Amino acid sequence: MIIWPMSRIRGVMSCRQAARVLQSYLDGETDVGTGRAVAAHLEVCRQCGMKAATYEAIKEALAHQARETDRETLDRLADFVEELVHDDPAGGPEVA
Amino acid sequence: MHDVGPAVATVSRRGGGPVTGEDGGRGPDSRVTDHEAFTRLVTPELDILYRVARTLVRRPADAEDLVQDTLVRAFRGIGGFDGDHPRAWLLTIMRNTEVNRNRRRRPSLLFDPDSSDAVADVGSSGQPEEEFVGGEFERAVRTAMLALPEHYARVVGLVDIDGLSYAETAGLLGIPLGTVMSRLHRARARIRKQLAAAGMAPPGGTT
Repeated sequence: MIIWPMSRIRGVMSCRQAARVLQSYLDGETDVGTGRAVAAHLEVCRQCGMKAATYEAIKEALAHQARETDRETLDRLADFVEELVHDDPAGGPEVA
Repeated sequence: MHDVGPAVATVSRRGGGPVTGEDGGRGPDSRVTDHEAFTRLVTPELDILYRVARTLVRRPADAEDLVQDTLVRAFRGIGGFDGDHPRAWLLTIMRNTEVNRNRRRRPSLLFDPDSSDAVADVGSSGQPEEEFVGGEFERAVRTAMLALPEHYARVVGLVDIDGLSYAETAGLLGIPLGTVMSRLHRARARIRKQLAAAGMAPPGGTT
């Protein structure tokens, strides 16, 4: 397998540069320009592409562990908010 | 359950109109509209608040208590809220609430645990029905996550499971944004390494 030295290609992000921002890219936390540069790198660099795919799979697996908040709990919390605002002993807002 | 003090219910919004009623919270019906504004502000966030609380504390009942205490503090402090980013505001209040609760009970899980090598129990309710959900890969990821040091697992849990942004996570944990990023990076690298060792991911470098 030939791993092309990305850093030698003018204007293309190196593997080291891509690795530095890969997690932010996968989380949608990079700016548009950086995102495009990472995406371009991942398209041509097999090793980084595989790494990114693994991280995406990990993220997806973790996202599946998200707990659904059951309706009863949400209803109880909504009721709590209602009680909180309606039992306000101040009798009205404090106006500065 | 709570000692609600007087609510300062006027909410000014920076760069926009007030989040209170049409009279800006100063008319005769302002109490009603201000209280409605508070309800409108927090109701869409109840789900994420509870999920985050479940990541921070073990028992569901404790998580619900934490959310309720957070709401009480938010209600009392709404006068100082500028109306921007209600989720971030509520998460910061949740952090302070949790720190205070733990100060009374035990060392806080939210104090920066950099030196801690404690193994995480984030997201673990200990309920058997949660232990075997998902395929082999998902179970391996969960196992790898549970083996992470607590300060790594907490960030992964908040970002990847609860869906918080980096900024929200930083605000909640009271750590710099860069620390969130570095912990996330190292945590995921450890998970990937463990998966690779188990033959469930391609081997690679340290990044």
